[in-house]
Amino acid sequence: MIALLLVLLPLITGVATFFLRKENAAKKLALLSSLATMVISILGLTLFNKTELLQFSADWLPGLGTKFDIRLDGMGQLLCLLTAISFPLIFISTWQRTYKNAHNFFALMLLAQAGLMGVFLAMDALVFYFFWELALIPVYFLCSMWGGEKRIAATFKFFIYTFAGSVLMLVALIYLQTQTVDHSFSINSFYQLEIKNDIQNWLFVLMFIAFAIKMPLFPFHTWQPDLYEQSPTSTTMVLSGIMVKMGLFGVIRWLLPTLPSASFAYGETTVAVLAVIGMLYASLLAMRQNDMKRLIAYSSIAHIGLMVIAIFAETQLAMQGVMIQLFSHGINIIGLWIIVEWIERKYGTTKFSELGGLAQKAPVMSILFVVIALANISLPLTNGFVGEFLMFSGIFTSKIFTYQIVITAAAGVCIILSAVYMLRMVQKIIYGNTSAITANATDIGFNEKFALSIIALLILAVGLFPQPILDLTQTTATQILNEANILHLLKK
Amino acid sequence: MNEVPLTHILVLSTALFFIGMFGLFTRRNMITILMSVELILNSVNINFVAFNKYLFPEKLDGVFFVLFIIAIAAAEAALAIAIIINLYRNHQSIDVDDATEMKF
Amino acid sequence: MNALIVTAVLGVMMMFSSIVLKRNSAIRMLAIVGLLFTFIANVLDSSGVHFFSINIKGMMHFDQFAYFFISISIFCTFIFFLLSAKEMERIGVNYSEYFALIFFILCGIILVASFTSLLILFLGIEIISIPLYILTGSDKKNLKSNEASLKYFLLGAFSTGIMLMGIALFYGSTGSFSVENSVVIAATTSPMLLIGILLLLFSMSFKVSAAPFHFWAPDVYDGAPTVFTSFMATIVKAAAFIAFIRLFSLAFTPLQDRWQLIVAVIIALTLFVGNITAVFQQSVKRMLAYSSIAQSGFMLMALLAFNTFSVEGILLYIVAYSISTMGIFSVLVKMKDSSLEEFNGFAKHQPVLAVALTVFLLSLAGIPLTAGFLSKFYMLKAVMHSGNFLWLIIFAVLMAAVSVYYYFRIIQVMFFKESDSNTIIVSTSFKWLLSALAIIIIVLGVYPQLLLQFLV
Repeated sequence: MIALLLVLLPLITGVATFFLRKENAAKKLALLSSLATMVISILGLTLFNKTELLQFSADWLPGLGTKFDIRLDGMGQLLCLLTAISFPLIFISTWQRTYKNAHNFFALMLLAQAGLMGVFLAMDALVFYFFWELALIPVYFLCSMWGGEKRIAATFKFFIYTFAGSVLMLVALIYLQTQTVDHSFSINSFYQLEIKNDIQNWLFVLMFIAFAIKMPLFPFHTWQPDLYEQSPTSTTMVLSGIMVKMGLFGVIRWLLPTLPSASFAYGETTVAVLAVIGMLYASLLAMRQNDMKRLIAYSSIAHIGLMVIAIFAETQLAMQGVMIQLFSHGINIIGLWIIVEWIERKYGTTKFSELGGLAQKAPVMSILFVVIALANISLPLTNGFVGEFLMFSGIFTSKIFTYQIVITAAAGVCIILSAVYMLRMVQKIIYGNTSAITANATDIGFNEKFALSIIALLILAVGLFPQPILDLTQTTATQILNEANILHLLKK
Repeated sequence: MNEVPLTHILVLSTALFFIGMFGLFTRRNMITILMSVELILNSVNINFVAFNKYLFPEKLDGVFFVLFIIAIAAAEAALAIAIIINLYRNHQSIDVDDATEMKF
Repeated sequence: MNALIVTAVLGVMMMFSSIVLKRNSAIRMLAIVGLLFTFIANVLDSSGVHFFSINIKGMMHFDQFAYFFISISIFCTFIFFLLSAKEMERIGVNYSEYFALIFFILCGIILVASFTSLLILFLGIEIISIPLYILTGSDKKNLKSNEASLKYFLLGAFSTGIMLMGIALFYGSTGSFSVENSVVIAATTSPMLLIGILLLLFSMSFKVSAAPFHFWAPDVYDGAPTVFTSFMATIVKAAAFIAFIRLFSLAFTPLQDRWQLIVAVIIALTLFVGNITAVFQQSVKRMLAYSSIAQSGFMLMALLAFNTFSVEGILLYIVAYSISTMGIFSVLVKMKDSSLEEFNGFAKHQPVLAVALTVFLLSLAGIPLTAGFLSKFYMLKAVMHSGNFLWLIIFAVLMAAVSVYYYFRIIQVMFFKESDSNTIIVSTSFKWLLSALAIIIIVLGVYPQLLLQFLV
């Protein structure tokens, strides 16, 4: 019931919002709906945390072997919570921004939320694919309708990229389905598959390309900085905070347990190498940026790289670290984007060279900005630290990797670099002398204060008491590793 | 008197078929092209009749088919002439090379 | 059988209706009512109420699939009449005759959907083709229309010749026109039969505009009056597919391993040529012509892998493709020319139509939640199920990704470009109809059983 509501509520309110002609009404309905979704999600974690409430299953296309099967497991809970928390924050923090045809904007945002929820909930491969694409279409319209000058080309590139990737994934899913015993798309049947190694290898390529484009992993990342720069900021928040998590999530839930031997074979060789290259490359590029948006985009690529390596390390610690980091990174980056959005709205630019000295003019913003930036560097006591520490120790103790020291060292370099570029950004923007643009700056309004404080609270809460999240993700991580490990044990 | 063997007839019909094909692709005059089409259809007719007579003489299937082909061919010829006349009114020519409104 | 005779009689009736009925709207009404009657007759027929009892000597066989397909094509023609029948007035003065020809084409469609003898197949194809030649050239003053009709006739006659030669060789090696496995099995070793099948394969590829036999299609679709292009590229094409699939699945399965690879290569070529060329088109009409070639590549997959998935899939595909394409054409008809610029800022002037068109385009591109996705999915699954041709599946999905490029170009200009000139004026009922079609597409994309349950 909870699971169904999480999808249906944004879907129905989203469709309804299309028909609201008044901007304010649409805004209010969207906020209300997202708040309600958040409440439901939190209730699902606490009060109604019972298995029968967390799943929903109905007949759908029986001839094709698919069922409408959605369920909340530990990882799903976490990511749905992320989605559910993010949307109200996004709506609140961008409350002042006005949009042309606002009802369409908010309707599409809610539809995107429904799609994302579906992706995290789906326990059937075809349902998963359905939602995977459905999350994409609203984002396509959001970006190309309300984005910057070069929005159409940037969005189109993104769309073609992701679509090409996902159809390849579709081929792999259909193939896997024909191999299952009961010819079904259900995730349990997928987990029971035992496919020959050489076939696993090319299935892995087909599926991994789809996920890698979404994450994005080097060298499939070229769509990302352009798109982040061009899309309206609230959509960028959805994209970078939640949507890129779809790729990592897909690897954890659908790739690793289904194709264990290929994941093992490619894990260290291709994937880890690409991820390390991507991390270093993105970090170095981030240091050279003069624009907040592009810097955050590249920093996101670097963080994702580390998470990919951690997934393929296949240890309990790393896996739980990734899950926590999925949540933390989403929260942190939305916080950063809220600040970017505010700066852009106030001063019309996000270039460092034109900003500066905001610490005197906007002290509250500056404090919160520093907190979030530190979380992004993963300083102890912040949520970033918990995730990254777990991932590091997981990678370092991984029995699968043979060069874990090299990989850990490379990742360590990236952390240092991230400290360099994040602090450089903080320094350029809030310290130094005020520029012509920021001379008459004022502090952030109540909405931003509220949203950013909640984010800062979450950062500290997760950083200080990570235990609840660790408990939540433990079973899922163990289960996935069990599924993934069977073949390795046989091999040794 | 010796009967003409089936292969002779098949060679004739095949030759006609390919002559028709050749005409269809090389000729530029629409009337000649139409004649080539007729040639193709007639070669098929010969095939049908010959097969019927030599291989399956107990039933008249092939011959009946020929009747249908002749009827359809007549309809097609009538239609073709109509199209050609219409084209002639617009172009003052019945050369297919003049009909080049559309390019890929 | 009911529908066959009813359509033939209605065709003749429509031909002479202009003598009695002076107003175009009355003629249109008659055609629509006649079509409804045909639909009812066909549904009654499938549930056992036969109006006529004629001994067809085993030349035709109406099974559930045939009835179902006939119903679908009558239904699609009905939608076509509702959407575009009014536009036919602009083409020429012979308003009632266009309807008559369309009824005759329907008659041919019913023949090719139910044949069991090659004679009926030949007659059906010709009864479809000859009226189409006329409809293509019906805009008599228009040079493009003339030329299209000429090209269509020449290549059509050519393919008919090839098909007849194929039938002759089939007859020569088996002594029968009946399409049954047993007939073919008796003569599998005969090289003449193989050549015959090959010729039939080529000529049918011609009719469904599969590459490398597609080159007539863009010119004909482009040159013909847009109203008739919309009919030609959807319902008629679907019928040619059904004939193709029926012929090869009924008769030639014993020789499957001989022709399957050729079909696979034809599919790959068709997808490649259709999609890649469509990317470069500037005219929407011509782009749709190439897109229809590309779509036939997907539909041919039903031929490659003949199983339950492909049977269900091809019907869903036909419905999804026909409705979407007719919907787009029905808007295109109302525009001055068919260039991409005509759609600039369309969403601003006609938001309802723009949303409906977007749904159609998404369906053609195969985005989930539309019937287009599920039908492509069925096709891929059917081929995957048959176990071979994995390369073809991967190639096909990549080509589907290419197709997104040109379909989304229309969406882009509709929503994200500006234009001052108000483009078209449409009636409210037209808007409702188009929205209803868009809803049908979405409903079938979520719940295809609504359609496929009739196929039991």
